[in-house]
Amino acid sequence: MTNTQETSASKHKHRSLKGLIADYSAIFAFLILFIVAVLLKGSIFLSVSNIMNILMNNSIIGIIALGMTLVIITAGIDLAVGSQMAATGLIAMTILNATQSIFLAIVAAVFAGLVFGAITGGLISKFGVPAFIVTLGTMQIYRSVSEYYFDGGGILATGRSASAFTAIANTKLFGIIPMPMIYWFALCILISVIARRTAFGRHVYAIGSNERASFLSTINVNRVLLLVYALSGVLVALASIIEASRLGSMNSASSGSGYEMDAIAAVVIGGTSMAGGRGTILGTVFGTLTLGIINNLMNLLGVPSFLVGAIKGIIIIGALLIQRSVSKEES
Amino acid sequence: MTDVVKMRQIEKAFGANVVLKKVDFTLATGSIHALLGENGTGKTTLMNILTGVYTKDHGDIEINGAPATPASQQQIAFIHQELSLVNDLAVYENLYLGHELKRHGLLRRREMIATAQSFVDQIGIALDVTTMVGDLNPSYKQITEIVRALMRDAKVIIMDEPTTSLTDVEIKDVFKMMRTLQDQGVSLIFISHKLNEVLEICDTYTIMRDGVVVSSGQVTPELTEVQLSNQMVGKELANSEIYQPRPLGKPVLTLKGLTKAREFQNVDLVVHGGEIVGVTGLLGDGRSELFSAVVGATVFDAGQVLVNERPVRIRTTADIKRYGIAYLPKNRKENGIVPDLNIEENMALPILGRLSRGGLIQRGQLTATVQRYVKQINIKVADVKDVIGSLSGGNQQKVLLAKALCTNPKVVILDNPTQGVDVGAKAEIYHQIMDLAKTGISFVILTSEIGEIQQLCDRVYIMAHGEIRAELPHDAINERDIMLVATGGQLD
Repeated sequence: MTNTQETSASKHKHRSLKGLIADYSAIFAFLILFIVAVLLKGSIFLSVSNIMNILMNNSIIGIIALGMTLVIITAGIDLAVGSQMAATGLIAMTILNATQSIFLAIVAAVFAGLVFGAITGGLISKFGVPAFIVTLGTMQIYRSVSEYYFDGGGILATGRSASAFTAIANTKLFGIIPMPMIYWFALCILISVIARRTAFGRHVYAIGSNERASFLSTINVNRVLLLVYALSGVLVALASIIEASRLGSMNSASSGSGYEMDAIAAVVIGGTSMAGGRGTILGTVFGTLTLGIINNLMNLLGVPSFLVGAIKGIIIIGALLIQRSVSKEES
Repeated sequence: MTDVVKMRQIEKAFGANVVLKKVDFTLATGSIHALLGENGTGKTTLMNILTGVYTKDHGDIEINGAPATPASQQQIAFIHQELSLVNDLAVYENLYLGHELKRHGLLRRREMIATAQSFVDQIGIALDVTTMVGDLNPSYKQITEIVRALMRDAKVIIMDEPTTSLTDVEIKDVFKMMRTLQDQGVSLIFISHKLNEVLEICDTYTIMRDGVVVSSGQVTPELTEVQLSNQMVGKELANSEIYQPRPLGKPVLTLKGLTKAREFQNVDLVVHGGEIVGVTGLLGDGRSELFSAVVGATVFDAGQVLVNERPVRIRTTADIKRYGIAYLPKNRKENGIVPDLNIEENMALPILGRLSRGGLIQRGQLTATVQRYVKQINIKVADVKDVIGSLSGGNQQKVLLAKALCTNPKVVILDNPTQGVDVGAKAEIYHQIMDLAKTGISFVILTSEIGEIQQLCDRVYIMAHGEIRAELPHDAINERDIMLVATGGQLD
């Protein structure tokens, strides 16, 4: 018995070193790309305005990716976040223009996000429909209804509160740091604490790791799943406020289009397992930044915009292959 | 008669846990040989060594008179209780799975059907090979699996408890096929707990106990079930050291007429305060299904569950905490372990909410709680923050036992609680349970280990085919009666 325990203990230590590399592979990927970017476009890339630009541009995807991380840790997926963002953003703008109350606009958007998320989570948990199917459906419903209601067009912030509303995202702290970045980082810390330090957060990991065992351990699996999607919905709503404020408008057809893919990519590059049970908020932050640098660098290098998607795709697959090979060695 | 399999002086240990000690096993060509023994006596390990799944530590294996080679071991088919058939494919597709007949990359469907059908006809089975496997009854699934082994040229077929999920009529079908094979010179090893079936179908037997062969020989008309079960059990286990009579309280958990179609029927059962109640039977007796319905993991069709003599509605597992019930399911890997959480979180999973203040888990309190159980039931851990997979199976089981206890329950339902736990640790767990029972906590222990029942239980219910067939008080608990009732017999 002592013998087997010793070997399993040393094996475990060995594993955790590999596990460490796997857990932080997002940081390595980020560092490699960062160095490449510095080598190729040193001075421009490293300029304060460019760095702030990257952080600003990616804070919205970054916030959506936080909720997506928890969803994917439960072994789920949410394809609807992009169109959900358009829908909540349009609701916020409509309320804003009608009441001129920023507070009411935010409350309405958050409430709508909560309801949208809860509907998704309810369908998945209560009726056992696969998350991919449910959100494939809701994705189209939210987009289609929004387009119908706004006739494919958008809505502009108007009235006396418009400038205060656009200031939410367009103000810079100390004249340098864009506010969306502050919102993003604050939410990162909040979600990270929820994931690591609360019973709810640990239940999220437990369900993704072994749903049956979690259920038999008296965890209310249905409720946790519902809450995860609801939380994701709220984060999407907050992202929609920032997006709407940044642009001063929201469009039913184009806003948030494709954001679900960027968010999922950020989470997966960040080392979260699509099979559930594993992943960190820190990883997702670096996954988001990695995507951001790729976009920025291709901009700086003047890569034709039609080719950007191809190069992004190659880098995402490459990053995942490296991670996969590390975690395969681990198991 | 020649011997198709000869195993001599086989030894096998997993770590320090010796599973097989100098085991001799001989299988005559064309015989149906019963391999008997209680759970955990090494039968399956021995068969896994024979088929080459495990490597032996010592000993020789001869197949058809020549030392075993991977190629000759391939001719031994092991048919497990969980069949490996694809329900959504036809019988012939299952028969050819992985060995399909092809020409230019296209399947030769007609030829496969014809060949498979003539093969099946030849053995004298009425089976249309184009039937979907999902539409077959359980006995024909079993038969399909056997046919597949035969088509791959198996000379020896090992059947692990093939009849547990079959009805009497279906068992007859399987037996008929076994006799046909015997006539064709195929040798069969029949692992079963149903001694009446052994006497009916087998011509030779081997009985194992605790990793050694205690007896083997011919099945003669004089041989009785009692003789076989006596040899399986060996000497009566001393049960005085752990068991202590205690005053019992009022009924805390009562089941009235609990019924679920095909799983359990009309179960009446009562557990008193501080009582340790055993529920036993053979595999497939319905005890696990019964209690999985009681704790809300599945639903039942009719009947009532009462806690403290009041009817309760348990809709989901999350409800049982409220009624002071804790549940440790069987099958640690599927139902118990959360591989991505560490030891500490695995143990405290049901009470993470209770250990939180202002939404945050209080780390200090968590560690203190976990350490208390680590000490109390002597779990061998280096660091409670290690991954759960770093522990041995027995220690993982102890973590899960602690998980059930940490909710401070009044009634603890343990399904196969000493699964994969070695003898010393078992005794520790038994002492723990007895001590907790003295403080008024009640236990329901679902087990097929008679020793466990004798050492712990105030009362035992014996189940067969989803029904409670008998109830024995502590002093009357004995293996022969339990075996008799569990295999469908009547107590006099």
